Amino acid sequence: MTRLDLLIIVVALAALPLLYWQLWGPNYRGTEVNILVGNQKAQRYSLLRDQTLAIRGKLGDSIIHIKNGSAAFIQSPCPNKQCIHSGWQHRNGDTTACLPNRITLSVVGDGFARFDSVNF
Amino acid sequence: MNTTIASERNDHIIAWFAALAIAIHVLESAIPSPVPGIKIGLANVVTIVVLVQFGWRTAAWVSILRVLVGSLIIGSFLSPTFVLSLSGACASLIAIGLAYAIARQHLSALGYSVIAAVAHILAQFWTAYLLFIPHDALFHLLPILTTVAIVTGIVNGSLALAVQKRLKLLMSEAPNVDQQP
Repeated sequence: MTRLDLLIIVVALAALPLLYWQLWGPNYRGTEVNILVGNQKAQRYSLLRDQTLAIRGKLGDSIIHIKNGSAAFIQSPCPNKQCIHSGWQHRNGDTTACLPNRITLSVVGDGFARFDSVNF
Repeated sequence: MNTTIASERNDHIIAWFAALAIAIHVLESAIPSPVPGIKIGLANVVTIVVLVQFGWRTAAWVSILRVLVGSLIIGSFLSPTFVLSLSGACASLIAIGLAYAIARQHLSALGYSVIAAVAHILAQFWTAYLLFIPHDALFHLLPILTTVAIVTGIVNGSLALAVQKRLKLLMSEAPNVDQQP
């Protein structure tokens, strides 16, 4: 190992916290939440305004809270409550869903991509 | 560009090391990965050793041949896996090529390996983002992937150093085997 090797490793390791901070940090928060019910047009809600939404799905009403720039399922008439356990979503691109109730919640931010994914 | 045809001896070196790298590549593909996208990339040890011992051109041949033939054997040729693999290999080669040109006296296998690993993951990530999964959530993976890349870079680099030590021993025991400059 040479001194330059050591320097490269140190620089690489030092850049890591920066990367974590950039991509997991506060400036990667979403600004809006997209709520999709079945195959209807998505409804957008701002994450900046705290509110409680009652979204009518296939089984009944799902209660979604928007608080401090995060959104979460609080109540849902589904059997497993996966949506509630997935917790608060706040990062750009975070997505959770209550599949039995056919409700999808995804956080969007500035410059959001047009596609969710492309499959081959 | 230098367009001279490589010597026959150099061809043999490329073929032997490429074969070794392909074998490692194929064997490693049989090991299940805990998280998709995370792999040790042991075949890169061969690339790094070849780079330090025989120069960048030979290393580039070995690396590209490994990706091409390895994908043909595994059956991922021209699939997204192959595209990602090729983009990573090309980026690594460019990065270590630059490092080799600028600072070859000051770098060992370890430095090259870390540079290659980071270039590899960044190129793969951007390829994946631009071609296959243009979803912003993908960026949450980048810090983890980069951390793993640096760790595997250090591991592979240390392995390459160890291999080099053995290789030097072998060559000193067999004095009639001359080392290619």
